[in-house]
Amino acid sequence: MVDWRDVEMNREKSFVNKLCTYLVFAGPATFAFITVIILPFLFGIYLTFTDWNGISSTHSFIGFENYLSVFKDKTFFNSFLLTLKYVFFTVILTNVIAFLLAFILTSGVKGQNFFRSGFFTPNLIGGVLLGYIWQFIFSNVLVYIGENLNLPIFSSSWLSHPDKAFWTLVIVGVWQYSGYMMIIYISGLMNVPKDIIEAASIDGAGSFRKLINVTLPMMIPSFTVCIFLSLQRTFMVYDVNLALTKGGPFKSTELISMTVYNKAFLSQDYGVGQAQAFFLFLIVAIITLVQVYFSKKMEVEA
Amino acid sequence: MKGFKRLSLLMALVLMMGALAGCGGSKDVTNTSQETTENTQGDSSSTLDANKVIEITMLNSKGEIQAQLEEAAKAFSEDNPNIKLDIIVAEVGQSPFEKISVMYAAGNAPALAMLDPVDIPNLADKFLDLSNEKWVSDAVNNSLDNVTLDGKVMGFPLSVEGSGFIYNKTILDQAGVDPTAIKTTKDLEEAFKKVKAAGFEALAISPMDWSLGAHFLPIAYSTQSSDSEEVNRFLNELKAGNIDLKTNKAFNGLMDTFDMMKQYNMYKNDPLAATYESNQQAMGSGEVGFWFMGNWTWPQIYEFAQVTEGFGFIPVPISNNPDDYGNSGIPVGMGKYIGIDKENNNEEQQAAAKKFLEWLVYSEKGQDFFVNKANLIPAFKNITLEPQDPLAKSIKEYMTNGKTIQVISTLPADHWAEVGASMQKYLVDMIDRDTLIEEIQAYWKNVK
Repeated sequence: MVDWRDVEMNREKSFVNKLCTYLVFAGPATFAFITVIILPFLFGIYLTFTDWNGISSTHSFIGFENYLSVFKDKTFFNSFLLTLKYVFFTVILTNVIAFLLAFILTSGVKGQNFFRSGFFTPNLIGGVLLGYIWQFIFSNVLVYIGENLNLPIFSSSWLSHPDKAFWTLVIVGVWQYSGYMMIIYISGLMNVPKDIIEAASIDGAGSFRKLINVTLPMMIPSFTVCIFLSLQRTFMVYDVNLALTKGGPFKSTELISMTVYNKAFLSQDYGVGQAQAFFLFLIVAIITLVQVYFSKKMEVEA
Repeated sequence: MKGFKRLSLLMALVLMMGALAGCGGSKDVTNTSQETTENTQGDSSSTLDANKVIEITMLNSKGEIQAQLEEAAKAFSEDNPNIKLDIIVAEVGQSPFEKISVMYAAGNAPALAMLDPVDIPNLADKFLDLSNEKWVSDAVNNSLDNVTLDGKVMGFPLSVEGSGFIYNKTILDQAGVDPTAIKTTKDLEEAFKKVKAAGFEALAISPMDWSLGAHFLPIAYSTQSSDSEEVNRFLNELKAGNIDLKTNKAFNGLMDTFDMMKQYNMYKNDPLAATYESNQQAMGSGEVGFWFMGNWTWPQIYEFAQVTEGFGFIPVPISNNPDDYGNSGIPVGMGKYIGIDKENNNEEQQAAAKKFLEWLVYSEKGQDFFVNKANLIPAFKNITLEPQDPLAKSIKEYMTNGKTIQVISTLPADHWAEVGASMQKYLVDMIDRDTLIEEIQAYWKNVK
């Protein structure tokens, strides 16, 4: 005979047990996550419906007006397009260069460990510092070289031309991220099972065939991670933008994060700034989720 | 196993409670400290608890005087061993309002905040009423107008500031130019030509948005009329979209001067590559005859020049008629104000902050900081020290002669950044004057 009371008690006990285990291991993290991420996020959404200026103690409720002004704002739209352009070039260049570096540095060249750490180093320097270093390079070092060697392309600072200033951002972004992505690609390359490569060799595949038909498909998870990371980082970039071009010349290189920040804090229009930030959040979430969904579909098992 | 489970449950509880207690605890602390304050205040209203060190911070938005201010803070602490003052800097070109709103958002506002005049009204509900301070009665006429709200004084006037073309007398003498004779755009061009002929660079234009947007372009607003009411009406009309700058005399006059200036700019080939620092160096080390800037940059010019005379201001001419309003006066107005926070700082800290302001105005060391160290022009009648630096002297001269034009303190907070960007485009000839006018008018129409 089954004692039902016993079963009931066991079930209850197991729920309490589970809760205890959860609280012990994930409780503090959950608490921190809720207070530091969830609550500010919800409060931020609330603020998009107000006319708060970022500092006063009072604000009034104005409905969807802020969202309307986001869609009417030409500066915001232009900055968004510029960011898309920046993301497009930076993500592609970063991943291509990172993969090539990883491929070369796993093929057994001399001193590959040295090169690996060398390429990874830019990632360890903070964005602001890195921006200042490159600012010096673009507006002093290159100009000096250009003047002395008569290279017209470097004769004036790249940072004072809107188009060139945009490319400085891309160059610095690629330089900063490709080392990090390279490490992920290296681990991906090393995890491709040796036996299937060997099998392909026996079947008579050349090294290019092996790369295209065996190595690359096995590395889809690395691509998923790297593209996700670089997408998300480039959409949110602020520090390099601030230190390198400060949005200039004349606001022509203001990426989206900086536009949002300036709207909220410089123009003292916190509600609109917050609405822009929420819009940005939606876009980035959609793009990255779509990307992860499709790259997951492409993954194969050996 | 059972023992372990109990232990872990206990630990989890402790952790959670620790977190909760952490939040509550800080409140208790503030309560006690407030009680102590009340007690001390009960004993004697102005003396502070001698055994305790009170830490206060100050936001400095004049990056040029950061070192001097830190020195002053040290000197203040020597006189008042129980107060420790730390200076936080908002860099040149960063909006101080931006910095302070971030600090308020973090619940960590400084006791003393040095801000632009336009920022004070926005913070009125967070700042202490300073109407009963001793220095209020010693402040010079009109210096508190910008910060008097509903009859309450909300800010401490830090300094009088002026701008215009800074000239290097040594260079002008060699070129045979008399700065006092420059009254029109034509005169100015002649002067530029002579300086160039003498082998020097004629002019430096600082391409920073704050210089072009906050100091240069507003001359066009100020010179609309000698009556400040009239200027306010002009700005309101501009906001309403009823002004066509294309036909505006003062604006076009200023822009004609600017077009001429562009021809003689030492950075003509790449105007935006110039930096504030390179301008300071060019002016201070005697490479360039004229530079459009204000007296706040004197400490840096001095670093290169190492002399205390031979520099001065001339006005920015806006027409070829020497008698037109604006051709003989430079913009002079209140530079920065200091407010005292009452939200994130307890009464003890507020009292310490008040004490610092009083120390600045009435102690010998404070006055020395004002006039000799930081080269500020104080807005207080009781400070009789004569300024040592030639730019401050020059401004005082314009003030005594009544040759000043108004500095508009009510421009919107992002005016300098937005319109400054349009001016930068105009500086590099990316847009023509019509587009510049369109952009300026569009800015004013859309501003909140």
